[in-house]
Amino acid sequence: MKPGHGSVWAWRVGILVAFLVAWEYLTGIKAISKMPGLYWIDPFFISRPSAIARRFVFLMSDEVRLPLWRMALSTVQSTLWGFMVGITSGFVAGLLLGRNDRIARVFDPFIVAFNSLPRIALVPLITMVFGFGLLAKIVLAWSIVFFIVFFNTFQGARSVDADLISSARFLGAGERQILRTVIVPSTLAWTFASLTPSISFALIGVVVGEFIGGESGGGLGYLIIQSLGTLNAADMMVALFVLGAIGIVMALGIRQIEVRLLRWRPEYQKR
Amino acid sequence: MSRVRIAIRDLSKTFVQGPREVPAVSAVSFDVQDREFVAVVGPSGCGKSTILNMIGSLIAPTSGEILVDGTRVGARPAPQIGYVFQKDTVFPWRTVERNIALGLEYRGLGRAEVVARVKEAVKLAGLEGFEEAFPATLSGGMRQRVALMRSLVVNPEILLMDEPFGALDTHTKLNLHAELLGLWGSRQQTVVFVTHDLSEAITLADRIVVMTRRPGRIKLVYDVKLPRPRDVIALRESAEYLREYGEIWHALGEEFQERLG
Repeated sequence: MKPGHGSVWAWRVGILVAFLVAWEYLTGIKAISKMPGLYWIDPFFISRPSAIARRFVFLMSDEVRLPLWRMALSTVQSTLWGFMVGITSGFVAGLLLGRNDRIARVFDPFIVAFNSLPRIALVPLITMVFGFGLLAKIVLAWSIVFFIVFFNTFQGARSVDADLISSARFLGAGERQILRTVIVPSTLAWTFASLTPSISFALIGVVVGEFIGGESGGGLGYLIIQSLGTLNAADMMVALFVLGAIGIVMALGIRQIEVRLLRWRPEYQKR
Repeated sequence: MSRVRIAIRDLSKTFVQGPREVPAVSAVSFDVQDREFVAVVGPSGCGKSTILNMIGSLIAPTSGEILVDGTRVGARPAPQIGYVFQKDTVFPWRTVERNIALGLEYRGLGRAEVVARVKEAVKLAGLEGFEEAFPATLSGGMRQRVALMRSLVVNPEILLMDEPFGALDTHTKLNLHAELLGLWGSRQQTVVFVTHDLSEAITLADRIVVMTRRPGRIKLVYDVKLPRPRDVIALRESAEYLREYGEIWHALGEEFQERLG
């Protein structure tokens, strides 16, 4: 732990507390005293921390038909599936095209065309094909993650140092051994660099899918849209906070994996 | 009776760069005997590395041929050849010991034998304590030592070295010269060593092939008569070393002068 680590944390917590207190306080000041419903900053739109906390506890309980933790679980599950399928397929495709000029030239226009299509425009189509459930959300997350990983891996596979391949050949390596010991590890370094953006984008894909997925798809995106329908700012804030927390935990987890896998890189060396 | 390991016959290489043809090597012929240490020196751009790359099948000759143990070199390097690059080619994602183990793993050796031979190599190279270090944490000299051991651990009969110590400081270089001479003294590979550093060539080699400037032809072939084993430090003060240095320097100097003029 670096010196001053404690004070950094103190500042962080302090800022968070100050923010919450200000929010609670400012949304409690009436514009005209004793007149109901008129506020300087109206909690109708942005709610208040105390109200959000109450709704959080309520939504977590079994009194609601679809408890919050179930929705969160559904979102996390779809995100992780979309993420894993996306990185695996993106890596294989990137490696294949990156090491094979001919295939790369054939597929290039299709990839550019598909990638330049805003993925959000695909949501209705994906929903039509894959229904309103988990699968549609996974496909949507995959369609974004795939390209992030693909392009990074493709670049990585192309920039494998030719001298490393030659030196392996001089040490007696066959083509399969070169693939396993030089091309794959060298390319993986690039692939790993795309993991952090990938998990964020997987989450985006899933939440967008949940916006129109309806109740059968469940998830926090559904809670947000439902809250919009009932003009319930507190519920919407609950969904946003939980999404934020999920995002942070996932990003930190990926970061840990990245540090572990790329520990040979100078920027990950312990100092 | 010594036998010829590498025979180079009338070798030429012309690079095509767009519309231009750049001749790099022109009609070079020489032999390398078994267990001989040959250095190739010349001004930069004289095609000395190109010759080495052709022996190692990294590039194809435009004309002429190279025979390694009587077989014409083709698209893949002959299996008895080891190669040490000027550039750092240690695999950064492998630890020191796993880098040295590479060639043994490629050959499908058993785990116990790999471990034993790597251990021996680590000891020979003075890399004890760094077995599990990643290359990023090592100095340039140590990385090149790993690359050298990685090539030597599979016992190549022929070792091609392309300015392997070119990027190192003088002190580290001298240490590695001493180590290389020690290793070579015990195993006696056939070595072709490319360098632009004349003192390095005299320190290490039995014979020096001096190249002209581009397009590279052979200017002269010089037999180094310094006795072995050689002390890399004391050597440089000996009269014999200075005399030989002077003779080759004179020939090299002509090449530099022509370029300036």
